[in-house]
Amino acid sequence: MIKQILATLAVSAGALAAASPALADYPERNVQGIIQWGAGGATDTVARSLTPHVEDALGTSIILNNRPGGTGVIGMNAVMQQPANGYTVLYGAENPQLYPIMGLADFDYSDMTPVNVIGQGLVVIAAPADSQFDSFKDLLDYAHQHPGELRMGGTGAGGLPSTVLAMVNSVDSLDVRNVTFGGDGPGITALLGDHIDFMPLSLAAAQDQIAAGRLKGLAVFTKEKIKELPDTPPITQALPKIESYLPWGPFWAVAVRKDTPDDIVATLSDAYQKGVANEDFQTFLSENGGKSLNLQGEEAEKFLKHWQSVTAWALQKAGGAKVSPEEVGIPKP
Amino acid sequence: MGDTLSYFLMAWLDPSLLMLTAIGTLAGIYVGAIPGLSVTMATSILISFTFSWDVNDALALIVGIYTGGVYGGSRTAIMLNIPGAPSSVATSFDGYPLAQQGEAGRAIGLSTVMSVIGGLLGTLVLASVAPFLADMALEFAPRDYFLIAALGLLLVGSLAAESLSRGIFAAAMGAVIGLVGLDPVTADPRFTLGSMQLMGGIHYVVVMIGMFGVAEAFFQLHQLNAKPVRQKVDKIIPSLRLVLKYLPLSIRTSLIGVIVGALPGTGGDIASLFAYDHAKRSVKNPSKPFGQGAYEGLVAPETANNAAVGGAYVPMLTLGMPGDAVTAIIIGALIIHGLNPGPMLMIQTPHIFWFTVGNLVLANIFLLIFGLTGIKIFAKVVELPKAILIPLILVLCVVGSYSLNSSMTQVYWMLGFGLLGYFMKIFRFQMGPVILGVILGPLMDQTYRQAMSSVGDDSGAFLLSLVTNPLSLVLTIAVVLLLLSNTPLKRVFRRRGQA
Amino acid sequence: MSNHPPLKAGERAFNALLLLLSVGVLYEAYQIAGFDLPNSAGAFPILLGVIMIGSMIAILWGQRHHPKPDTRGVLDEARQFIHEHFPLTIVVFSAMAIAYLLLLRPLGFIIATALFLFVSQVYLRRGRFLAALIITAVATGVIYALFKLLFQVYLP
Repeated sequence: MIKQILATLAVSAGALAAASPALADYPERNVQGIIQWGAGGATDTVARSLTPHVEDALGTSIILNNRPGGTGVIGMNAVMQQPANGYTVLYGAENPQLYPIMGLADFDYSDMTPVNVIGQGLVVIAAPADSQFDSFKDLLDYAHQHPGELRMGGTGAGGLPSTVLAMVNSVDSLDVRNVTFGGDGPGITALLGDHIDFMPLSLAAAQDQIAAGRLKGLAVFTKEKIKELPDTPPITQALPKIESYLPWGPFWAVAVRKDTPDDIVATLSDAYQKGVANEDFQTFLSENGGKSLNLQGEEAEKFLKHWQSVTAWALQKAGGAKVSPEEVGIPKP
Repeated sequence: MGDTLSYFLMAWLDPSLLMLTAIGTLAGIYVGAIPGLSVTMATSILISFTFSWDVNDALALIVGIYTGGVYGGSRTAIMLNIPGAPSSVATSFDGYPLAQQGEAGRAIGLSTVMSVIGGLLGTLVLASVAPFLADMALEFAPRDYFLIAALGLLLVGSLAAESLSRGIFAAAMGAVIGLVGLDPVTADPRFTLGSMQLMGGIHYVVVMIGMFGVAEAFFQLHQLNAKPVRQKVDKIIPSLRLVLKYLPLSIRTSLIGVIVGALPGTGGDIASLFAYDHAKRSVKNPSKPFGQGAYEGLVAPETANNAAVGGAYVPMLTLGMPGDAVTAIIIGALIIHGLNPGPMLMIQTPHIFWFTVGNLVLANIFLLIFGLTGIKIFAKVVELPKAILIPLILVLCVVGSYSLNSSMTQVYWMLGFGLLGYFMKIFRFQMGPVILGVILGPLMDQTYRQAMSSVGDDSGAFLLSLVTNPLSLVLTIAVVLLLLSNTPLKRVFRRRGQA
Repeated sequence: MSNHPPLKAGERAFNALLLLLSVGVLYEAYQIAGFDLPNSAGAFPILLGVIMIGSMIAILWGQRHHPKPDTRGVLDEARQFIHEHFPLTIVVFSAMAIAYLLLLRPLGFIIATALFLFVSQVYLRRGRFLAALIITAVATGVIYALFKLLFQVYLP
């Protein structure tokens, strides 16, 4: 009897031993990559141009799948419901860091393990080419005299324009009509048609339009002028007090479920690190107004925490947060 | 000029580009025919796939898929009453009755030729007046999109054949389904009943697959033992006389298609419904009454949705703004390939424009060839015993809705809508208005609020803005006219008179 | 009174259910943002709820002169409805479809699909095992190849 039990134990031990190398063999099949924004947007484009390089390093294919909706909540939720085995990765943007304070969901990136923070984008405040304003200062002056008249293009609660507006409002006052569009693209279309007066946009989306003279850059959301838009003044010129928030911009990150085994996270981190470092991808990022970060592990977590605390408290100060950052445990910057 | 011609002919003269366009068109027809597999999905998969390719190769393949895919949806709409894509919903209204009368082959033949005519006219407009049309599209303010959505919803009048109140009810219900999820403006959950799964909304293709595919499959279970309709397989290619007869109509509906397609935010799905309505209003003596197999009811949506392809390329190529979901992905592809899709595209890479135009023409030629071959085999599908066909349809519906975003939730919803659709069919509600509501409801909600925000939430200023701008005034007048022609007042008075 | 077609069995019940659904829609719409502003997340939904209720009342009003279905009592009407629209074939087929969905994850796509196709064809055609077997094998293979290999859809 005891012998039998021992034999069974031995067999199970053998099976376990056989199983652990299998674990180390990750990846043994395709990996599914879930993009939390729709096809054709900035997050999607970054994901799709990065992934082939990662596939080379990882030695398997990554099947990309867009799961847009609810400011990205849907895609992130989908990843969090898959097994924590490293076969489902999330391609996300900055939005999850604002879910808790916008009351959108009770999770953010701290509920996942970051694999890589790919890079950060720059923001430019753009106006139609024939706009009466030549700089953000003109626009602010006008808005002070005519509060609630200017039409700003937005992308909804927790979107980039509303965050930028909140930051401006936390150091100054800018009372505008917020007209919500489905994304940067429809917003730019409305700008081109003069249906709105200005809109904070990612540089990637706006730079060609500005270069072609169809849009006018009022300010870049940085401390200094940038080489992509040499004629556009930095926002600090009109609003020196906003400097404490800068540099600020949207970012893109890859993450997996929290309890994914460490060796799998390591394998993934390694592959993504190589992928982001790839020369072609770096060219792609810089040509599209992005700054490469390529952060892993603790560095990535630190970046995410810092971004969250700066942004969340700025929103809180401007009255743009539905839930106080304090309540959800976001420390002050 | 010489350059233009050489760019135009690039895909024609290079054997590998020629092959890729052909393969794309053929693949597109089948992708489009399967409900749930959409052109959007196929292109986004292709982007990762063609990453290491030359950009022209990738573009040639995508143009083929796009052209073939928009057409492909009509196949299943005609044969099984299951539109392969929302842009073929209107095709099923008269296409399926034709198949039931044994004319599936002829219907497919006619829709092929008409799709090609629409596609070519759309391309012609793209090639000749793209910059002008793009500037015109920019003139459309949120209030104008709101009016267009209102116009679209008023089509209920012609989609709901027997009972206007039933049509209105179905459309409003569709709009509610379309609004499910987080509100894009305030992120408030709407109709989510506290469910996380519903926060992302219900995909309108799921509604379409359920209400058309599954409900139809259940309905046909009643006729399990009925002998399948024998399909006439002669005269599949429509005669020149027939094509010429419908030419004036097809030119008008192509124009509707190309304009609606060029507006960013509206596409082939809305265009084909507008075109169907236009045909119904303008054609006094259709070959058969509309809804019972009128050829005109096939001609209009099929020309319009393919013309919308050319239209969608207009803002993309001239402004770098997507005309629809597919062109949004193409823009992403161009960026990945290191090109700058934007207002500078025509200046920096002038070949892209004429290459695309040439490619579209080529894809339409391939569409004619592939579309007209093999119809006899396809028509035979309708002759399969129902007991074989129905399980297959159900499996396709399941796979199609699952592949939308790899989630079983969508599949359960699909089956749920199937059951609801079955009940609604029993009690004489029509499915067309539901789909109309699902597509247009969210557009109307969003544009209404954009327009209201733009005037500072002032209802008076909003109403005033509808009549003070020339473009808006034209659209407002159209809405009012349509409203008057639809109004049940007429009918109410008549009924009073009888009573 | 009657050139109107008689109502179908269960029609009044179904319409009443839809009216209830419409009221539910209105209630849910009110929950979104109350009667706050002409431009809120809840404005359009409330309008839709009202339209649904209004059109359903119009439908019911229009039917007031239609003769009732030729049934005795509610139970009989229910029986007739089920007899007309849910004969055994449809009930069994629906059950199979639901079972198929439930088995899709545990059994995997290929086995569940093959099983469903085979069993439902044998049931609907009352036999013809060989034909069902061949069609099942071909169809499952083709669908699997098309979706999984060509379109890289993540099948369960």
